[in-house]
Amino acid sequence: MGRIVIPNKKQEVKSMKLRSKRLVALFATLAMTASLLAGCGGGDSAPAADETPAATEEPAADEAEPAADEAADTASAGDTNSTPREETLYFAGQQWGTINDWNPFSTNSNNAMAIQQKDSSRTLIYETLFMFNLLDGQLYPLIGTDWSWDDDTLTSMTVKLNPDAHWSDGTALTAEDVVYTWDSNVKYESSLGLDFSNYVESITAVDDTTLAIQCKLDDAGNPANPLKVQQLLQQMYIMQKAYLETVEERNGSDKDAVKLDKMDDLIASGPYMPFFDDDQKVVFIRDDNYWGQAESMWGSLPAPKYIAHVIYADNNAGQVALEAGDVDICQQFTTDVQKLWEEKNLPITTYIDEPPYGQCATMPSCWMNVEKPGLDQVEVRKAIAMATDYDQIIASAMSNQSPTFTDVPRSTMNPTDGEQALYDHDAVKDLQFAGKDIDGANALLDEAGIVDTDGDGIREYNGTPLSFKAECPDGWTDWMASLEIVASSAKEIGIDIQTFFPDTNTFYDDITTGNFEICMNSPSGASITNPWGRCMQFLSSQYADLSVNWSGNWGRYRNDEADEILAKIPLETDEATLKDYYTRLNEIYLTDVPNFALMYRPELFYIVNESVWTGYPMKDDGTNIPPTDCTDGYGIAALYNLELVE
Amino acid sequence: MKNTLRQVFHSPKFVIGFVIFAALLLTTIIYPIVVTADPLEMVGNGNFFKPGTYVSVKDAVEGTRYTLNIDVKSGSLDNKISAEDKEAMKEWLLKFGGLTEADIDTNDVEGLIGLWEANYSADAQQKGLTASKKKYYVRLNNSIDGILLDNDVIIARENPETGELEQSATVGSREFVNTKDVANRRTFILGTDNFGRDVLTELVQATKTSLRVGIIAGVIATLIGLFLGLISGYVGGVVDDIIMFITNMFTVIPSFVLLILISYSVGQNARGVNLVGIIIGLTSWTWTTRSVRSQVISLRNRDHVNLSKLSGHSMMRIVLTDILPYLASYVVMAFILQISSGILSEAQLSMLGLGPSTSTAATLGLMMNWATAYAAPLNGSWWAYFPVVVTIALIAFSLNLMNTGLDQVFNPQLRD
Repeated sequence: MGRIVIPNKKQEVKSMKLRSKRLVALFATLAMTASLLAGCGGGDSAPAADETPAATEEPAADEAEPAADEAADTASAGDTNSTPREETLYFAGQQWGTINDWNPFSTNSNNAMAIQQKDSSRTLIYETLFMFNLLDGQLYPLIGTDWSWDDDTLTSMTVKLNPDAHWSDGTALTAEDVVYTWDSNVKYESSLGLDFSNYVESITAVDDTTLAIQCKLDDAGNPANPLKVQQLLQQMYIMQKAYLETVEERNGSDKDAVKLDKMDDLIASGPYMPFFDDDQKVVFIRDDNYWGQAESMWGSLPAPKYIAHVIYADNNAGQVALEAGDVDICQQFTTDVQKLWEEKNLPITTYIDEPPYGQCATMPSCWMNVEKPGLDQVEVRKAIAMATDYDQIIASAMSNQSPTFTDVPRSTMNPTDGEQALYDHDAVKDLQFAGKDIDGANALLDEAGIVDTDGDGIREYNGTPLSFKAECPDGWTDWMASLEIVASSAKEIGIDIQTFFPDTNTFYDDITTGNFEICMNSPSGASITNPWGRCMQFLSSQYADLSVNWSGNWGRYRNDEADEILAKIPLETDEATLKDYYTRLNEIYLTDVPNFALMYRPELFYIVNESVWTGYPMKDDGTNIPPTDCTDGYGIAALYNLELVE
Repeated sequence: MKNTLRQVFHSPKFVIGFVIFAALLLTTIIYPIVVTADPLEMVGNGNFFKPGTYVSVKDAVEGTRYTLNIDVKSGSLDNKISAEDKEAMKEWLLKFGGLTEADIDTNDVEGLIGLWEANYSADAQQKGLTASKKKYYVRLNNSIDGILLDNDVIIARENPETGELEQSATVGSREFVNTKDVANRRTFILGTDNFGRDVLTELVQATKTSLRVGIIAGVIATLIGLFLGLISGYVGGVVDDIIMFITNMFTVIPSFVLLILISYSVGQNARGVNLVGIIIGLTSWTWTTRSVRSQVISLRNRDHVNLSKLSGHSMMRIVLTDILPYLASYVVMAFILQISSGILSEAQLSMLGLGPSTSTAATLGLMMNWATAYAAPLNGSWWAYFPVVVTIALIAFSLNLMNTGLDQVFNPQLRD
């Protein structure tokens, strides 16, 4: 390396200069670090007004929203994108990128705030017939007022609609719209249509406010699955017939084109309409003509005029905003969440003030592919499950935001009281495993003759070492940490587990096609079909036969007895028999260990900052509103109780 | 040689760098001998326990007790009730307790607590109070519950047969234990990380791993660089063209991108500590090649080399005896820089989750990765990442300082 020749003196001068430059750099670094730390710590500064101008490059004029004139009154002139803090409810942790469409038929919509047709559907913009409440497992009226089976055979159902319901364009919402929505879902093969057409034969309009739903029947004349028909009531977004016809027309009724339609000129029935969106944030505006203000529904409009979701780079950015009071409802996993109020004294709280802090409704589980040699042995599966240190997973990976398996013994039931009562705890008591039972797991493997023959510390089965790859998507930190703990426990019983964290798409490719050894995934949470639906996901061979399997039983476990019981449950109404069925399923689940739960988890994290809004649902506040972020299922009722902090 | 070493150790820069580096190296060797705990053992059942000594509560209750004449009441009062708490209590009592300003004196803590206990009720109608504030008052109430009482705390066991509680001991307010008497205690000088692992023990292990990765990477990169540089520079011609073509190609592709791609394609299974070192070494040899080549070209036509050629010495011998010694000092410096950049590359790779796996090895990058993933910088758990940053900085700093020191000794133009 050539150096320029410099006389000694000059060299000295230069090195002094360099030194002073270095000092400056050092100070600059220190100052930056200090300001960074201050930025993290300060909870009092940064009103939301600071961040809204950041998203103003694009004037919202081209949005051509019907609400734009109205917005001009409240928002500062020429800047329709910034909404007054006291009228806006800010979210974090739901929307991670620029939204791509408003189309409920879409198979790749990322519009998390608007489109979530699931067990507790998100009804801010589109609405469902009924709302599910995970606290009591009941359906609450929305567009529909009442539903009932026509007789004991559970083959047909009548649903009454609210005559007050109307669309955002003012026209009445009638049974015809519902029928057309269902038919379109089937015709255009939306994922909802594909799934539910196995259970629903037809939906027809009896009159403007009455629907008749006919179940699909099996060969014996029994309904295929009455539970799934009930689920449709809470899951399917109802769309306007006239609007759907417009969409069909402009896409020439082409199946793929309809599913790819952006639908940004949408007509819906919900309390909010799209207002503004870009790569910085998404904003909905309240439809002040919303039908739900009728006495037959809510009797008023929801409190926040705007719903906004700033698109944050990552969890940490979202948490900083939450602490600064720029976010009201945060759907993010937060390490040591109690520190926010116990140590930082911020006006932040969660559903419950002590562990597990939220209402857990699902249990992320470790699924083992029983088609892989080694994992086809029940002893190996059970040994991994016995060795795993669940207390450590719950305390560290999940930061205590889950009940322990001592509090709620493992089963196919989620930790809500309703599901827990559905099986006989004592009958399966002896099958339970506490975890961190290294000696027990070692003994089990030794007895089965699965031992380490070549002295490398790894046991062999049929000559091949027990070495498995455990995967979950990259960036899902609590899951990644859980699998690390599983791996380190397995090491102690001579089973080699390596963690593998691919991107989310690769992960889903792997698990849906059975191209994995061990993976972590959640079964469905709280739903009208559960715990039956979850038992299907744990044990049903119906899913094991699918070549591309998005439904459940990713480990492809098969058990004829379980299949038989699972087929009977949807048709059974006698509670004692149901309890026997579920108890037997749990015996199978705990004996064969096709998969095992690693923790319990809320469906949505729910951390609220009460610096602007208050009146959020809290445990035992007497409202019976579930902590589903004020947006999902019956949780949306919370929007009508919110008020500004005095 | 002796003279050179003496010269080297007279350079203050080199000596400082060397001392820091040696200290780090010695720590990684001596610490594991003293502390034999498994660095990957998950001791703490939770995230980020703060630094300090943890003693077993059960042992403390059952062990020898000493009575000290210390007023514990005011000590715990100050600890449990801050000035803000007092103001908040006053506010509540004014708003919902039906008291007036005159009734309340926040300077009289005991009086305030008396008023509080007499008036506070969690079930009271607290209109206008947010949920977080209500919960705050419940917590405050629980923490000061019985704080004024001077009676003993009773320790009881459950009788396994009857299920009744049987008193086994009482704890008075002036009783103390000497922490030395407590058999079960553990000191976490730097607290624990998100997995509940002892940060200090992990850090020492991680430093060792990083040094190993750095040295493997440095040796490989330097060897490849030196070999290609010597051939290319000395032989010249087509060989030079080919080697330089390859080198230039590798120079143009950002080596870190290459590193990411290779690490990703190797897969987590095979990615042990040694392999990561090898991958880093294989992607960072280019600049060594280029600079060795240019130095060899300038040496190639010196008189002593030509004399050797005329004497019919083999190419191997000429390169080894007539060229390499002139490069030695430079190669040592390049090697040091390669180690330093190898360590930084490992940290960067692990930060991206492309380093060795968490359950098999501790590395500096992995520690940073998990600390960020569990938001340590946001919730004030400095011990989980700051010591790691300092260690990385110290390693890089010491190696670069040694390099600068050597430069001053070997480069005649820089000599004082």
